[in-house]
Amino acid sequence: MNNNGNIGENGNIESVPILRIRNLKKTYMQGKIPVPALDGVSFDVNKGELLSIVGPSGSGKSTLLSMIGLLDRPTDGSVFIDDVEITKSKENEAPRIRREKIGFVFQHFNLLSTLTAMENVDIAMRFTGTSKNRRKERALELLTMVGLGDRVKHKPSELSGGQQQRVAIARALANSPAIILADEPTGAVDTKTREVIVDLLKGLSEKGQTIIVVTHDMDVARQTDRIIMMRDGAIASDTGVTGNEEKGF
Amino acid sequence: MFDLIFRSMTQRKMRTGLTIFGIALGIFAVVVMGGMSEHMNLVVDKSLKLLANNIQVEPDGTFGGIGTLDDSKIRQVKRVPGVSDAYGVLVTSLDPESAGGGFTGGDMVFGVLPERQMKDALLTSGRYLMPGDGYKAVVGSSIARKYNLKVGDELEMKSKRLQRTSSITNTRNVSVVGILEYTGSMFDSSVQIPLDRAQKFYKMENIVSFIYAEYTPGSDPSEIARRIDLSVDKVKSKSPEQLRKEIEGNLMIFGLITISAAVLAAIIGGLSVMNTMLMSVSERTKEFGLLKALGAERKNILFMTMGEAAIMGVVGGISGIVAGGIVTHLLNKSFEAQGSALFAITPRLVVIGLLFAISLGVICGTYPAYRATKMSPMEALRYE
Repeated sequence: MNNNGNIGENGNIESVPILRIRNLKKTYMQGKIPVPALDGVSFDVNKGELLSIVGPSGSGKSTLLSMIGLLDRPTDGSVFIDDVEITKSKENEAPRIRREKIGFVFQHFNLLSTLTAMENVDIAMRFTGTSKNRRKERALELLTMVGLGDRVKHKPSELSGGQQQRVAIARALANSPAIILADEPTGAVDTKTREVIVDLLKGLSEKGQTIIVVTHDMDVARQTDRIIMMRDGAIASDTGVTGNEEKGF
Repeated sequence: MFDLIFRSMTQRKMRTGLTIFGIALGIFAVVVMGGMSEHMNLVVDKSLKLLANNIQVEPDGTFGGIGTLDDSKIRQVKRVPGVSDAYGVLVTSLDPESAGGGFTGGDMVFGVLPERQMKDALLTSGRYLMPGDGYKAVVGSSIARKYNLKVGDELEMKSKRLQRTSSITNTRNVSVVGILEYTGSMFDSSVQIPLDRAQKFYKMENIVSFIYAEYTPGSDPSEIARRIDLSVDKVKSKSPEQLRKEIEGNLMIFGLITISAAVLAAIIGGLSVMNTMLMSVSERTKEFGLLKALGAERKNILFMTMGEAAIMGVVGGISGIVAGGIVTHLLNKSFEAQGSALFAITPRLVVIGLLFAISLGVICGTYPAYRATKMSPMEALRYE
């Protein structure tokens, strides 16, 4: 099979699915009433894809994201990353999987306000046992890549929203994760900054980084390779993809 | 990881400072109170060692104080089988106008038989008392320092007797013939003069405060003490073992009272750590959630929170010990002028204080740390 990370074209049937989701279900209990948040979601994501998940509030898109990110456990179904069924992992394995496979980008950036840009990137690598020098090197490299090479010593409060989000993206990339999960990454920035962020994500995707973006913003979604529309905990439409359904089952 | 802990602590300087102060205060109390108790222990321990292995006979019905015994009792004690010899000691206050006496405070005059003088406490200068000595004295190290005495100097003794409504104070000089080395016992504050002169000066002819009975080697001192009680009227005898137990019992109560007050203070310090850590953890909900999302393990988060609590414990503990050390040192210095110390900061006490501070920090940091590890990254990150 093709394992070249630089293909990037969506729908390339020969690409290896880096993420496979099978019949994922999640039911929350509201008192004694079960509330289904996800109702049998299945799809594949190939390496290097830039995918957006859209849908109204309560459609289950954030729940889906937290299942993929192993922040929460499904009621039923499976998530495979690199052919490993992460939904079957033990609780004490979850941190390692999060470190190695997932990079998070949040709406509100969630940088630590007491740390500099450099340290905010560095902190993601602390739990992996990377040497201090290597971490510094890597953080500088990533910050330079996102265009903040001259801002490494700045605290979040000294950076604009767009700059903060770029630090957050650098942080998400720090451990070279299989997938970047971005939860409303442009939700807290203005339209001009939004384009900078989206361009950055597109650039990363072209270099082979798999990215899943959850967004309300159709302007953002339209710029991605593929859009999955969620409604009532299920996939309402999946554009730009052929054959996932057939392939998956 | 330590840099993160320090950053968290320095970010909340005021709160961290107050918490550390709380612990320091608690440990300070432990050190000062403990130092007092330790000092008592040391003095009593050394005094008991110097008191040799004699059975102490005192008038029945005196509780801790100094009573009087008639000379004739000595002869009766001597006749008890198993007793090889017996002699009396007269104990009075050097200055009856100042309170004190007993094991811990006050300067005392011991009227002793020169030939029965205790020679466990060594001389730094001069000589021991000799039979035939008149108003001569061997003084303890604290007395020598307090009155700035050298061999050959004169020391003034006072006696005070109540007669109807007025009191008569007599004074008399004795000349110092010997100075004892520092023993850390009650002998440091003692003036030893020949028994007959003491009895005469204090108008207590044929009276002693205690009788010390020597027993024949190989016999059981508590058995002999019982025999003395049975054959001599109105006395209470204590074998060295009983004496030690009784005094240790009294000390234990004193120790318990002081230590529990101190521990209470320290626990309050500990609670302030807990409060601070709980606040810090709930303030940092998001931070811990984020760290978890970034792949931090429970142990990382435990390390950060417990580490913070432990560091506050250590810093507070060390400050408390240092402050306690300085304060007791100064107090001892000022009491030294009067020839007595009050506190002893023993290595044991320092170790206990430090361990106590650290375990307070860690124990009181455990629950907040546990709460921190329980943060769901989802909950922590979703909402601003």
